[in-house]
Amino acid sequence: MSKSKLLAAALPALLISTAALAAGETIAVFTKNQTNPYFQTVRVGAEVAAKSLGAKVVHYIPTKPDSIPEQLSQVEDVIVKKPSAIVFVPVDYKAMVPGVEQINDAKIPIVNVTDRSAGGKFLAFVGADDYSLGLETARYLLKSLGGKGNVVILEGVKGSLTNIDRVRGFNDAIKEAKEVKLLASQPANYQRLQGLQVMENLMQSHPQIDGVLAANDAMAIGAIEALDGANRKAMVVGINGTQEAVDAIKSGKLLASGDYNGFLQGCIGTMVAIRSLRNEPTVTEVVLKPTVVNASNYQPYDSPLESRACPSWSEAAAMAGK
Amino acid sequence: MSTASDAPVRAPGFHVSREVQQLAYRLLAVALLCAALSFAAEAFFTANNILNVLRQASLLFFLASGLTLVILTGGLDLSVGANIGLSACFAATAIKATGSPALGTLAGLATGLVIGICNGLMVAKLRIPSFIATYGMLWVLHGITYYYMAGETIHGFPPGFRQIGSGYFLGVPIPVYLMLAFLLAGTAFAQRTIWGQQIYAIGANPVAARLTGIPVDRRLILVYAISGAMAGVASIVFLARLNSAEGDIGEAMTLPAIAAALIGGASLFGGIGSVFGTFIGALILTLVLNGMNLLEVNANWQPLVTGLIVVLAVWLDMAGRRRG
Repeated sequence: MSKSKLLAAALPALLISTAALAAGETIAVFTKNQTNPYFQTVRVGAEVAAKSLGAKVVHYIPTKPDSIPEQLSQVEDVIVKKPSAIVFVPVDYKAMVPGVEQINDAKIPIVNVTDRSAGGKFLAFVGADDYSLGLETARYLLKSLGGKGNVVILEGVKGSLTNIDRVRGFNDAIKEAKEVKLLASQPANYQRLQGLQVMENLMQSHPQIDGVLAANDAMAIGAIEALDGANRKAMVVGINGTQEAVDAIKSGKLLASGDYNGFLQGCIGTMVAIRSLRNEPTVTEVVLKPTVVNASNYQPYDSPLESRACPSWSEAAAMAGK
Repeated sequence: MSTASDAPVRAPGFHVSREVQQLAYRLLAVALLCAALSFAAEAFFTANNILNVLRQASLLFFLASGLTLVILTGGLDLSVGANIGLSACFAATAIKATGSPALGTLAGLATGLVIGICNGLMVAKLRIPSFIATYGMLWVLHGITYYYMAGETIHGFPPGFRQIGSGYFLGVPIPVYLMLAFLLAGTAFAQRTIWGQQIYAIGANPVAARLTGIPVDRRLILVYAISGAMAGVASIVFLARLNSAEGDIGEAMTLPAIAAALIGGASLFGGIGSVFGTFIGALILTLVLNGMNLLEVNANWQPLVTGLIVVLAVWLDMAGRRRG
């Protein structure tokens, strides 16, 4: 009798203690800008993960896209505000190292997402590998072309880490296919308008273009507009798996888009941060395998970001297995 | 180099002949560039590629032509790129919401115009230097646009609307007709109307302009309003051509628009420049990209080549003018 009474008294106390544990954390999420849809997927992934674990998210986004000084000053702000943990996409993988060191000195746990920082101490790195993303996306295009034909590459911003690796992946895939000819590799700086204009220009000097490899979706869709405008056909691939790309895949205009998995990165980065705060086992490195979104597998991508669910921890941990 | 005081106010005849002489040098620069490109790339000198270059130049021209009037008064409009972004997003929303391209077009033009009028009021009435007023406007517009779009894109517009950007009439792209129409209208306005001459006069000497009874404030508001409205025009053509709106579409266009006006002979001190010169400037910048793509210049060298050609074009022009 008295024993069960004790239990009855202890049970709510137990519930309260887990609730207190669960509701307390504030996760500061740093992303590069408000303009690239990719970072929106990271932010939503972080929010979905935090919500399911009962934590809350505060976003830090430079108003001037990719501004190093602005992110540095946001780092200083966040050190004063002392969130429970930080999920961090550096605007520049080298220039932000001092900022990361300041966060380390302030003893705020920090998870590195998307671009691997050149220094500082992190709980974990969660990202995707641009090289294999470029390689797999290009392989898919070349296979769809039947292993032969003329292709062009639309490069992103010269010197950006993502562009260097993606274009290297494209080129290596092209080298594998002996009967594929690379006609030109020209920069369109990740911009839609430049993707359109560069493609229009390339069509002037090349009467037969069978495939277009664009280092992001915006350029790919610009290139499709150029092809349509000239009544020409080519298979086009992009990278990022944006909603717009999924729509274009559905309508048959875009062949495929390599998914950089921003949503998953946001999910897993935030899960690692929260689990570490709760002293649950985590992982130190998750490099997501590329998914090439195409007409046969786009369905899961065709729903609003907010309604997607993060993977369970065991699924996420399995992705870390490398 | 001409000085501010010999910029024409009352003698349109003198003004035009001088303009013609200067423009001849600028056309020469374009001709040299074209000749070099025809020699180097066989695909360059074809009717198809010339129409292609003109269509590509049109967006930059819309933006830069309105801006030219602002520069003629001695001001600057740094918000044109951000203006395109917001105008395009609002126009896209309106088309999606109402299904009416006409209402969408109206929304885009109105957004651009209102932004321009705000700039004009800040400069003329609050006496805020135009650089600061429009730089502030740039951030306000970016802020609204990024918040409004939240990293999303709006895409897929009716085929009828898309004709404005990607359609043809008698084998010539519609944006090229629009560009020619605005080129004629802009040139006529600046060179042949009292208001146009007053704009030159304000840039040449604002104090004298005020003393001679020119309604300076009203003309200033007018030029910023035109600049804003032209950004609205550019946003509509952009939407129709790209079939998609996203927050940062105009960001990369502000500096090229200013460069187009300056390459075309406009002076940041005001009073000097022309809409036709700006057309040439937009053409030169577009030719550089076209040429590099046709010649497949390595991506590593493209920024360097662009910079050198722009500086060279302006230097040739100035050397020519000194002699003239």
